[in-house]
Amino acid sequence: MKFDPDTELVARVGKGDRAAAQALMARHLPHMLRLARRMLSSQAEAEDCVQDAFLKLWTHAGRWKPGQAKFETWLYRVTLNQCYDRLRKKPVLGLDAAAQVADLAPAADTVLERVGVAAEVEAALQTLPDRQRAAILLCHYDERGNAEAAEILGVSVEALESLLARGRRTLRMKLSHLRSA
Amino acid sequence: MSDESTTEDARFADEVLARLPTTPVPPALEARILADFDYVAAARAPGAVARLVRRWQALIWPGAPAWKPASALALSLIVGMMAGVLVPSSDLAKPASSASQADQQTASGDAPPIVNMTGDL
Repeated sequence: MKFDPDTELVARVGKGDRAAAQALMARHLPHMLRLARRMLSSQAEAEDCVQDAFLKLWTHAGRWKPGQAKFETWLYRVTLNQCYDRLRKKPVLGLDAAAQVADLAPAADTVLERVGVAAEVEAALQTLPDRQRAAILLCHYDERGNAEAAEILGVSVEALESLLARGRRTLRMKLSHLRSA
Repeated sequence: MSDESTTEDARFADEVLARLPTTPVPPALEARILADFDYVAAARAPGAVARLVRRWQALIWPGAPAWKPASALALSLIVGMMAGVLVPSSDLAKPASSASQADQQTASGDAPPIVNMTGDL
């Protein structure tokens, strides 16, 4: 079994140790927030999502059994599930709005001037299906290995690779003009 | 799809995602998360029930010592019991008399019929 650096901290959190809670938060909060932010494309929603994930952690820390799963994997899975819940409740984009997002490439020059590259990448990310986006973010944004990302997503490594391949292809198609920029 | 193209796609994804800005953690969010921790820890700590009672007491009678609401509750109980014992209930007689009438009717129904044997047929 691999060494889990969070085990001791989680045990202390379960006993009500505030310093351990702060340490755990300092270790994971920045990564969780940026993942949720890119999944939801709303800072406020991302903050709520991460807060809910931590509330789950504070509630369940006392019952955490080391050795069953890596703590970090569980925490990121909880965060992603919170994101999926919020995405399900979001109104679906109308066809016109979706078409506008999808047609960024032909008018690349004007879009670049107006919203900037980051916003364009963000918009392209949002057009991906939720699980493809999560896979892309875990592997290319959070720089996790395929095995770890697959575990967080609760899929096999082969399924993750399939999600990644489709997501990358779509991103490249939508943002190909950025390569020359 | 060729391996070369897959690698190229992966490299491209790395490149474009690196252009996304970082997301700073607002101090207010940290404070909110720690407040949640304090709340959960306080609820789980020994004596949590006593603290809950104290919080409830502070809500209904802010600033008062514990004996004040306890005395008010005891006094209201005594007044209620005294009222129950000492106030004459005239209404109690009525259901009793109606019950006895019903008993009488039942008793007369059970009695043998009165037949005048001396009269003419």
